[in-house]
Order: sequence, then C-alpha cells, then structure tokens
Amino acid sequence: MANFLFYTFALLTLASAVLVVMNKNAVNAALGLLLSLVGVAGLFVLLDAALLAFVLLLVYAGAVVALFLFIIMLLDTTPGAQKPFSRLTIAASAIGGALLLLGVLSLDERSVLPSLTAAHAIPTLKNYAEQLFTTYLLPVQLVGFMLLVAMLGVIVLSRKCTGEDEPKTEGQP
Amino acid sequence: MSTELLQAAAETNQWWAIGPEMILGCAALGLLVLEIVMPKDKRKLIPHVAMMTLLVVLAGVGLNFDTEWKDQELFGGLILLTDAGQVARVFFLLSSLLVCYFGTVCLPRARAPRVEFYHIVLVVTAALMLLAQSNHFVMFFVALETVTIGFYILVGYYRESTRSLEAGLKYLVLGALSSAIMLFGIVLIYGAVGKVGLEGGAHTGFEFSVVADFLRHHPDNFLATAGALLVLGGVAFKIGAFPFQIWIPDVYQGAPTPVTAFLAVSSKAAGFAVLLTLVHRVFAPLEGVLVPLLSLLAAATIIMGNLSALTQHNTKRLMGLSGVSHAGYLLLGVTASISVPWAAGAVWFYLFTYMLASMAVFGVMAHLAGADDADQELEHYERLARDRPFLGAVLAIGVGSLAGIPPLAGFMGKLLLFVAAFQAHLYWLLAVALGSVVVSIYYYFGWIKAAFFESWQPSGNATSPSVRPVPAAPSWVGVAVMATLALATVLLGFYQAPLTSWLLK
Repeated sequence: MANFLFYTFALLTLASAVLVVMNKNAVNAALGLLLSLVGVAGLFVLLDAALLAFVLLLVYAGAVVALFLFIIMLLDTTPGAQKPFSRLTIAASAIGGALLLLGVLSLDERSVLPSLTAAHAIPTLKNYAEQLFTTYLLPVQLVGFMLLVAMLGVIVLSRKCTGEDEPKTEGQP
Repeated sequence: MSTELLQAAAETNQWWAIGPEMILGCAALGLLVLEIVMPKDKRKLIPHVAMMTLLVVLAGVGLNFDTEWKDQELFGGLILLTDAGQVARVFFLLSSLLVCYFGTVCLPRARAPRVEFYHIVLVVTAALMLLAQSNHFVMFFVALETVTIGFYILVGYYRESTRSLEAGLKYLVLGALSSAIMLFGIVLIYGAVGKVGLEGGAHTGFEFSVVADFLRHHPDNFLATAGALLVLGGVAFKIGAFPFQIWIPDVYQGAPTPVTAFLAVSSKAAGFAVLLTLVHRVFAPLEGVLVPLLSLLAAATIIMGNLSALTQHNTKRLMGLSGVSHAGYLLLGVTASISVPWAAGAVWFYLFTYMLASMAVFGVMAHLAGADDADQELEHYERLARDRPFLGAVLAIGVGSLAGIPPLAGFMGKLLLFVAAFQAHLYWLLAVALGSVVVSIYYYFGWIKAAFFESWQPSGNATSPSVRPVPAAPSWVGVAVMATLALATVLLGFYQAPLTSWLLK
C-alpha cells in the first residue's frame, strides 16, 4: 500500500513538474506547480512528516502559488512565439543533465545513510515549537530581521521616489 | 516542557555576548522610528546617527576585545566567540562605517530613499558579524541569508537606473542559486551525520564540532564529502572564485558605488571568514580533498580575474574583476593555512590592507561619479591630478597598494601570503600568483596613467572633455577620511607591527 502510494505521489510530482516546464501558458504552468507541490506534500506524509506536509500546502500551495497566479494574471502574459533554443543552450543543458544523472547515480551507488534508530521521535507541532523557542531562539530573531529587511526592500523598490518628500537642496550643485 | 528544562535550554543564552549585534539591530529599528518622528529638515541627521552607532559599537568591541565568553559555545552551541570572530567584528564595523560615509556622499545625487539604506546596512553588518561567529549550520545559513537578502535590495537600490535594476535581478537569481547549492550541501551533511554517533545523542548533525567529529571518524563518507563540496561551492560564489565569478562585473557596475564598495570588501571578507572557519574547524579532516581543490580554485581565480580585468575601461568593472584576482591571492593564503597555521592571520592582514586600499579608491570614485552612477570610465579620470591633486594622490596610493607596489601596505599583504605559500610548499601556485601580479600592474597603472598623464589629443577636436562629469570637491570630512585611509596604507607598508602582532598570534 505504502509503495503504491509512493509511486502515485512520485508520478504526480514528476509529471506535473514536467508540465510546469513544458507548458507555454503561464497560468497552466502555475497550476502544474500547485499539483507538483501537492505530490511532494503527499510524499512528506508518507515519511511521517505531517507537519511539514501541512506547512507546504498552506504556505506554498495556498499562498505562494496564489500570489504567482495573481501576478501572472495582473501582467497578462499572452503566450508568445517561443524562440528556438540555441545550439549552445542545448549542449549546455545536455551536459548539465548528464552531470546531474551521474551525481544521482553515484549518490545511489556510494552513499551510506545512517540506519534508522528504533525510537525516533515523530516531529509534532509541540516538538517543533519547543525547539523553535528554546534552542533556535536566536535564528528565529534573526529571521525576523531578515523578513523586515525584505519587506522594506519591497517598499524601497516599488515606491516611486518623486523627490518631493526628500529635500532637494542638498548635494545639488 | 517543564521550567527546569526551559532554564537548562536558556542557560547558555548569554545575550550580552552578542551585544554589538543587538545594538546594531536595535539602532536599525531606531532609524526607521526617527524618520517618522523627526521633522523633515532634521532628517539629514539620520545617517550621522547610523555612523555614530557604528563608531560607538566599534569602540565597544575594541575595548572589550578579550571577552569573558571567549572560546565558549553559547546559545546551545549556535555561537562560538573566537579571536578570529572578534577581528571579523572590527573589520565589518570599520567597513560599514566607510560605506555609510560614502552613502552620504553618493545618495543625495540620485532619487532614491535615504533612511532605508542605512537601516539595511546596519542589519547586514549585524548579520555579517553573527555569520563570523556562527558554530552551527542553521545559524550559519540564517545569517548568510540575511546578508544576501540585504544585498539584493542594496544592489538594486537606484531603481530608476536600468543598470542598477539589471544588477539587482542578476544578483538575485544567481545569489538564490548559490544559496540553493549551499543548502543542498548542508542537507546532505545533515543526512549523513544526523542522529548517529554519541548514543542516540542530543545533537542534531548541524553543529560544526559534531560534523568535524563525524568526518574525522568517517573520512571517506561519500555523502558528507559531497555535501562539504557543495557548501564550499556556495561560499565560492560569495567570494567570486573562478567558476562562480560571472556575476561580478555586471553587478559591481550596476550597484550604487557605496554598495559596490560594501560588496567588494565586506561580502568578500565574510566569504573568507566563513571559508577559514569551515576549512579549519569543520572540514579539516577532508584535507586530502581540500588542498588540491583549493589550489586549483586559487590558480584559476587569479588567472581569470587578471586576464578579464586587462580589457576593462569601466572602473567599477575593473575593481570587480581585479577583486576576483585578489580573492585568488586570498584563496592561496587559505590553502596555505591548512598546513601553515599563521597564514590565517596573513589572510586577515591582506583583507585589512585590501579594505584600506579599496575604500580609498571607492572614496575617489564616489566623488568622481556623475549623474549616471554606472558610467564611470577610465577616461573620466583624465587630468584628475591637475584638477583635484588630493583625489589624484589618494587614487595613486590606493591603486598602487592594490597592485602591490613595494612601499605600500598591499605589498606587505602579498608578501606575507606568498611567504606562507612558500612554507606550505605550494610552489607552482606561487609561480602563477607572482606572474599574475606582474600582469595586474598593467591595468592598475593604466588607471594611474589616465589620472596623471594627459593623453595626446589632436587640437582639432577637443570635444570629449565636456562629456565627463566634473569631480566633486570633497568636504573636510571626506578629506579626513580619505587622507586617513591613504596614510594608513602608507604607514602599514613601513611598520606592520601593530596589526601583525594582533593578527598573527
């Protein structure tokens, strides 16, 4: 049963990921991304990481992809004629793909993962919160600053600086 | 969770140990509040508040250099205060102070918001300082991301200039890619290390000491080695080492001049602070892989940086690409430091001389830049020595030090690195570096030539001088700052004892 579910979700993830890349219509591609995320969330559930699955669905599928769709529809990108790939691009992606395949194969061949200890704690919301507010308090604070800077950056880059709210006299010859 | 457990978890949370970072964070928030409450005509003071804060924190760190928490793991192993970390704090504070000053010179010329710049610089500085102290991969990554996100915004800060926006976009895409590579590496290490070893253990596989321990016992673990290489790849992006240097010219050119200085000095130094930590503390057992890899990277970076800088006419691109070759020399020092421990101090000495010289040059560039900040060509420096002798002299000293001309600090920095490389038996790498120093003199002297010697122009068409921007006269603070930088560069060339006795302990 678990195997069957794994293959279903893996197939869903991969097929919709291919759909994201191949689709010429941006809206359809974003919806493909949504499906792909659902597949990944399913894989997380199979790995006993239910919390991660829910966070993925809520944050990525719920918020991020919705935002993508919003922006795509706002910009009204009509699918135009695609430029054919140059020969260099094709060669580079072929080499890149081959290297990736080689990497995955050698990982599969040579890597030794630590064996599962019998009593591994299933991550619950409570465990997670305890860690977050004790051990990882400092990184959480820092992430707060990071988000503040990111938000400020959005304002800086999107606000039209008319020069009226700043004194124009200084530095002007 | 009971209160005892909570207390035990919070026992090592010595908040005062990261006082400098906290003060900077609070000051950054304070700047935003000040912008709201201050009357409009007083807002010019806000940059000065930022600079005063940096100065006070710098003095504080200098006075409490030997902290009581030295070599203790704090925050449950997230932070480790070391001597190198303290040196890094001083370095980043000094560099940010200069960046803020250049900001007051450059920003009024463009139509861009003012206060946010200083806010972001302060937060990035705090994150850089935490990055240099981090002892845990989670802390490491969060601090690094804070720095990177701050830089994404700063690079695209002149949003009305297409070049700045293009640079911001390029930095965003490539920076995100490098973060992804690094994160993948961290995850692979976590997968290999997590939850094995110390009897079911309380550790998570993220602590630097745990990872080093694991690598010492399993030196041929493929997964952990692959992870280590991916992490080093992410760091190589930050320092602009060879296969990851493609972003440098465009981003350096498009970014506002103070931000270019910040990228060139602080971001690069952060990369090397991290690299030294990783090479010495975390991946030390992988010496057999690291030495050939870093040597190859250093040689390729030195050659690539110098060759591509040869043909540049834009001074910001020139600084960027010559900065790539400086990263190569520093990588040579890092490689040497694996077998010659004092070379780590030599790397820091080089970084200090590089900061003094680069900041002097960027100071001149900040005064020379016209309305279009990205358009700073070598031709604009023509007759600089005659029109503004002071700026010309500072430029000559800064560029001379970057090239490594004997009486200046840059020469001593290079000498220390090369002696370290010699002691570490990296002879072929040394030969590459020496050859490249000679090549670099060509483009550095092209710059000095442009400033000091007039090129011959046919008398018929004397049209070109009218196009170039008129260099601004530096204020007395600017004169003081640049004179100090130039003087320090000259003095460090003759008398290195104060800095070396401190760094080469």
